Amino acid sequence: MSVSDRRFDLLRVPVVGRFLRWRWSRAAMQTPLFLISAVMIWHAFFGPQLAPKNLATLLAWVHFRGLVVLLLLLGGNFFCMACPFMLPRQLARRFISPQWTWPRWLRNKTPALILFVGVLFVYEWLDLWSDPWATGILIVGYFAAAFFVDLFFKRASFCKFVCPIGQFNFLASSISPLEVTVRDPNVCVNCHTHDCIAGTHAPLSLANFDATSVALIDASAPAMTHTCGKLIQRGCELDLYQPRKVGNLDCTFCLDCVHACPHDNVGLLARVPAEEIVSTEIRSGIGNLDRRTDWSWLIVVFVFGAVLNAFAMISPVYTVEQAFVRATGFDSKLPVLAALFAFALLIEPAILLGIAAWLTRKTADAGVSLWMVINRFTRSLVPLGLGVWLAHYGFHFLTGFLTFVPVAQYTVRTTFGVDYLGAPLWRLGGLPQSLVLPIELGFLGLGLIGSLGVAWRIAADFAPFKTLKAFAPWAFIAVLLFTSACWTMSQPMDMRGTFVAR
Amino acid sequence: MDDPNSFLFTAGMFASPKTSRASRLQLAFAAMLAIFAANFLVGCRPKTPVHAGSLLATVQFEPNPPTTHGPVKLSVSLSDAAGKPLQIDQLEVEGDMNHAGMTPVFAHLHKTGPGQFAGEIQFTMGGDWFILLTGQLPGNTHFIKKIDVPGVKPQ
Repeated sequence: MSVSDRRFDLLRVPVVGRFLRWRWSRAAMQTPLFLISAVMIWHAFFGPQLAPKNLATLLAWVHFRGLVVLLLLLGGNFFCMACPFMLPRQLARRFISPQWTWPRWLRNKTPALILFVGVLFVYEWLDLWSDPWATGILIVGYFAAAFFVDLFFKRASFCKFVCPIGQFNFLASSISPLEVTVRDPNVCVNCHTHDCIAGTHAPLSLANFDATSVALIDASAPAMTHTCGKLIQRGCELDLYQPRKVGNLDCTFCLDCVHACPHDNVGLLARVPAEEIVSTEIRSGIGNLDRRTDWSWLIVVFVFGAVLNAFAMISPVYTVEQAFVRATGFDSKLPVLAALFAFALLIEPAILLGIAAWLTRKTADAGVSLWMVINRFTRSLVPLGLGVWLAHYGFHFLTGFLTFVPVAQYTVRTTFGVDYLGAPLWRLGGLPQSLVLPIELGFLGLGLIGSLGVAWRIAADFAPFKTLKAFAPWAFIAVLLFTSACWTMSQPMDMRGTFVAR
Repeated sequence: MDDPNSFLFTAGMFASPKTSRASRLQLAFAAMLAIFAANFLVGCRPKTPVHAGSLLATVQFEPNPPTTHGPVKLSVSLSDAAGKPLQIDQLEVEGDMNHAGMTPVFAHLHKTGPGQFAGEIQFTMGGDWFILLTGQLPGNTHFIKKIDVPGVKPQ
C-alpha cells in the first residue's frame, strides 16, 4: 500500500474526482466565471454608478474576495483553477503561438510584487470599493494584461511572474489542506518521459513524415517519438516538476500534470496545512526559498498589507492621516497614502524583521547571512497573514453574502424594465455584525496559532539547542501583529473615501 | 534528455518558429488594441449616476454629523430650479453605504408642508453614506435624487 493510498485524494472522490479529471473540467469552470466577469464589466460601465447597486463592485469586492480566501482555507487554490482571465488567452493560443521567453532578469516575483502593492494602493487611493467604473477598468485591465503577456511570452508567464492575485493565492494556499502532488514517488523514479512537465506528445505517424524521415527514426526509442510528435497535452507551464515539487507555491491547480501523467500518478491529496512552509528542500521551479528574497518581500506585503488594508477601514486611520496632514502641510490624499504605505510595508517590516533576524542569528551563533534568516523565518508569518485577510474579507462576505440577490433583481429590473427575478429583496444581507466578530477573531486566532507553530518548527531546525531564544523574536512579531489586527477588527467600521478633504 | 526542471524545457520550444516580422505585427496590433480600448474606456465614463433634472434638495440631520447611535432625525426640502416648493405627497428615502455588500436602510417620511418632509433613519455603520430620494412629480414623472452623507460617525 503506497503512502497516497492512505491519504484523501479529491481526484478519487466519485463525482467530483471524475469531473476534475475530465479534460475540459477547467474550461467548464472558467466559462461561467468568464460570463459573470463579462456581466460585471458591462454593469461597471453601463450600470448605475452606485457601488451597492452595481454588480461589478459587489461581486468583486464582497463575493469574489470572500469566497477566494474561504476556498483557500478549506480546500486549495481553486480560484486559479477556474481563473476566467486565462480563458481568452487559451483560446488565442489555439491560433497564435507565443514567440518569446520571459526575460531572465524578470524571472522572479518583483513584477508581481510591484503590481500587488499597486493594487492595494490604488484600492485605497481611488476608493475602488465605491467606484464601479474604476472597478470595471481594473477588471478589463486584468484581462488585457493576462491576454497580452501570454500572447507574447511562452508558458504561464503571467501566472508565474505577473499576476498579483496569483501570488496572493500561492502564498495563501501554503496553508490549504490539499495539494497537487505525486501519489507514489516510486512510480516517478522509473518514468522516462516526464510528461508532467514536458507534456504529452503524440507518437510520430507515417502521415506526419515522409519516408526518409520515418526510416531515420528508431521505433524502439520512446524518448525520440515522445519529443518529436505533436503536443497533445500541456505539462506544467509554471515549471513545477512533480517529483521535485514541494507544496502549493506557484501551483495554479490547473491539473495539466494530472492530465499529462501517463501513469495516473498525480493527485489532489490531503496534507498537513502549513507544513510546506517549514520545508527547506530545494523546490522545483522555485529553488531554495532561503535565498529567494523576492518571496520574502511578497510575504511582507501579504502579511503587513493585510493589517494595513483592514486598518484603512476604521476611524483611527483618519486621526493618523489628519495628524500627518497637520505635520506636513500636505492637503492631498496621494502623499498621505504614500507615507502610510511606506511606513506599513517598508519601514515597519524592515525594523521588526531586521531586529528579529539579528537576534535570532546572534542566539543561534549561526554563520549565515541576515537575509537568509529573514527569508526563512518571515515565512512563519504567512498563516497569520491569511488569518487577517480571512477576518477582513470574511467580514464583508459574511455580512453581505445575500446582497447579490437584490442587486441581481435590481439589475434585471433596470435593464429589461420587468421584474423577471421578482422585486428586489433589499432586506437580504448576511449575518449580523455581532455574530461575525467572533468568527473574525477565530480566524485571527487560528492564524496566530499557525504562525507560532511554524516559527517554532523553523527555530527548532535552525537552532536545535536554543530553540526558544530563536523562536522568541518571531513569536513577538506574530503576537504584535495579531494584537493590532484584533484591535482593528474590534473597532467600529468607518468606510470613508475622501478623508483628507474633511 | 534536457533537464526537465529547466525553464527552457518547454512544450512551446517545439512549436514552429515564426518570423520576427510576425512578432512585430502582433505587437503593433496589440498596442493599437490597447490604445483603442483605453481611449474608449476613459471616454465613456458616466458623468453622474442618477439624474434628477433641475430639482433642488436640502437634507438636514439631527444630530449633525449623523451617528450610528440610534435613529437620526431627517428633514428634506424639495424645490424646483426657481426655488418653488415641489408639490408632491410622497417621498421615499433609501440610505446606502458607498461600499458594496451592505443592506440598505429606509426612512419613512411624513409631509410637514409644501415640499417639506420629516422622519427618522437608522444608519447601521460608520463611514460614507448616500441617500436616494425617490418620488413622483406632477405629470407622472419619476425622479431619483442622490445626496451624499459623508462621515457618519460610528458608535
